[in-house]
Order: sequence, then C-alpha cells, then structure tokens
Amino acid sequence: MDDQDYILFEDYISSELSKDEVITFESRLKSDSKFKKSFNAYKELSRFLEHELGNKEGSKSFKDNLKSISDSYFEETTTSKKVINFNFYKYAVAASVALLIGFFVYNQFTNPSYNDFMTYDTVSLTVRGNQDDIKTKVEEAFNTRNFSEAETYFTQLLEIDDSNQELVLYKGVTLLEQDKFDEADALFGKLSQGDSAFKNKATWYLALSKLKQKEFDECMVVLKSIPEDAEDYKQAQKLIKKLD
Amino acid sequence: MSEKKLHEDQKYIDGLLKNNSFIIQAIYDKFVPKVINYIKQNSGDADKAQDVVQDTLITIYNQASQKKLQITCPFDAYFFLLCKRKWLNELKKYSNKEVTINEEVLSKDDDAQELAFETSVFGEKQDLFTEMFQKLGNACKNLLKATFKIKSMEEVAASLGVTYAYARKKKSLCIGRLTKLVKESPKFNQLNN
Repeated sequence: MDDQDYILFEDYISSELSKDEVITFESRLKSDSKFKKSFNAYKELSRFLEHELGNKEGSKSFKDNLKSISDSYFEETTTSKKVINFNFYKYAVAASVALLIGFFVYNQFTNPSYNDFMTYDTVSLTVRGNQDDIKTKVEEAFNTRNFSEAETYFTQLLEIDDSNQELVLYKGVTLLEQDKFDEADALFGKLSQGDSAFKNKATWYLALSKLKQKEFDECMVVLKSIPEDAEDYKQAQKLIKKLD
Repeated sequence: MSEKKLHEDQKYIDGLLKNNSFIIQAIYDKFVPKVINYIKQNSGDADKAQDVVQDTLITIYNQASQKKLQITCPFDAYFFLLCKRKWLNELKKYSNKEVTINEEVLSKDDDAQELAFETSVFGEKQDLFTEMFQKLGNACKNLLKATFKIKSMEEVAASLGVTYAYARKKKSLCIGRLTKLVKESPKFNQLNN
C-alpha cells in the first residue's frame, strides 16, 4: 500500500469522496483482496484510535470506578482475620493496664472512706436490774445491723438508766450508722468531754462521723485530739496521714 | 439480523458500558469468586486474580464501546472463559513450561466459547495496537492525539499551524503508518488467522 491508498481510505471513511469515486472504491474492494485487507486494518485502527484517544473521559471514569469497586471487594475478601484479632488483643491489653493503673491511682487520690475505718464489736451489754428482755432484743438488733430498732431499745434502756455511758456510746453508733449525724455528734461530743471509760472511743467515733459527713477539716481537728494512750490512736494517725 | 436471541445477561454488558456501579458490584459478587478459586488452584493468588478480573472487564468494556457486543449465552460462562484464557496466557509468558489449555467445558455452550474467543482476540489486538502506537514518531502521535480529541480538522490544523489540507493528509499517512506497523507484526498474523 502506498501513501495514496491511505489518503483514499481516509477520504472514504470521512465521506469526502464523490459518488463516482465511491463506486470505484467499492468495486476495487471487491476485486482487490490485498486492498480490502489493508482497508479493513486501517478502519479497525481508526476505530481504535477514536476510542482510545477520543473517549478518554468515559473510559477513564469507568476504569477509576472499576478499580475502586475491585479494591474494596478484594480488601474485604482477603482481610486477614489475624489482623483483626491482633488489634483486639492489643486493645484488650491496653484496656486492662489502663484499668489497673486507674484502680491504683484512684486509691491514691480519693479520700479515705468511713467504711475503711469504722469498726465495732458485737454488743454485749451489762445492764442493771431486770432488763434482760430488752437487753436481749437490743443485742440481737444491733448485732444483726438493725440499727433503727436498736436505737429504739437503747433509748428505752437509757430512760431507765441514763447514766450508763456504754449505752450512750452504742446508741451513738446506731445513730451514726443511720446517718443521723446531728444526734450522733451530740452524744459523742458529750461523751468525749466527759470522763468515762468510753471517752476516747467516743472521740474516735466523732472523728469518724465527721469523716462520713466528709467534713475533713473538722475530722482532722478531732483526730488530733485523740491521746497517745487511746486504743484507737494508731488508727487515728493512719487516718490523719490519709487526709493530709 | 442475528437468528439467536439476546440473553437476558446482556444487562451485564450494558451495565458495564454505562459504568453502572450496581451492575459492576453484582459481577464481583456473583461471578468473581469462581475465577479467584480457579486462579488460586492454578499457580496463582488473590492479587493476580484481581488483575486478571480487572483487565478482562476493561476488555469487555472496550469491545462493547468500540464494536458493539451482544451475548447470546450466560455472562457467567463467557466471563469465566475469558478470565481463564487470560490467566493461561499470563502463565505461558512467565513460565517455560508447557501449559496445556485443556478446554474442559463447563457448560456445553458453544456460544460462550465462541464469544469468549472473539473477545479474547479483540483484547489481544487492542494490546498490539497500543504497542504499535507507541512506536510511532512524536509528530504522528501528537497529530493523532489532537485529531481525535478536537475532532474538527480545521481546529487541529490551526492549532498546529498548518493548512487544513496538510493536516488531513498527515492524518491519513500517520494512520497508514500505524496500519503498516501492525500488519507487519507477527502477532497480527497470528490473530487474524
């Protein structure tokens, strides 16, 4: 094929030939197989170029869209379960460590609580006269933490014998356990001012009452007034340290 | 006028041509797993399967837009055969071993075989044309790019600073040159037989 033939091909495709020229061209296609083969190849390439060079946008947006669908499909099907588990493990460890640290930090930084320090023995009273009946009831109520009931019985017993300081102390405890702070503080305050065997104990309970009310400054003051020979001196010092 | 009825799966071809994401996603969900399995069982892996699938779909898109593609068989069989051929050709390229293409028929569907063969040939021709285009000189490449992008020969001539007549003549000669390159390549003769 020479240059003239290619120019002819182009003219034919672009409809630039006259009617006569078209007839001549088409009859040559029928008779000259080499010519025909060449023309077909030219036509095919023309179409190829039109698509490749001319339809760039449509082709590109298809290819981009295809790639993104392909990528997400293959990512989904080949995501290793191992990767997921590994991340989970890391998070689980991190969470546990955080929890542990949090726990210790929390302990360090929160204020001491009433429950950490408040203790009392089960009650076993010494009462005068024949109040055995109430005595049994109050002991049972107190020892089973039935403080409101116990309070009633203590009040009854105190009506009979208002000088029994032990009863006063324990009544104070029942009041404190019921969060009846004003009444409890009044009883403890009086006892700690007094001279009974329960003086120091009452002071200690007064401090604990302040602690339960979260009145830390007042609590400190009371704690510091507990003498060295008191049964609860060591505990008091411990609490002072914690409040500092 | 074709005697054969168009298959209802023609919708997949049309969907690809229209860049319909739902159709494309459906193709992946329904037809790709079989291809992945086949390639994995034949010295391949998921990555290679991904490439084969993408290239095959691009070839189908190109044929549909350049020449019009109508299938008379299920898309499943047609698509699978295409991917299989493409993969086996890949293997032939990179291994010196004799790769036997055993045409075990999945469905006794000659239509699928025929259509897949046609598309396969089309795809290989496309690759050849692209290769030969790169071999053209820069002058021809730039002229052809301008011609098919701008579409008006007058504008092309003006932008290149030449006469309309000259631009037209050059276009013929450049395409002619490309035709010659293609015809003289051994691959083309293989494909056209």
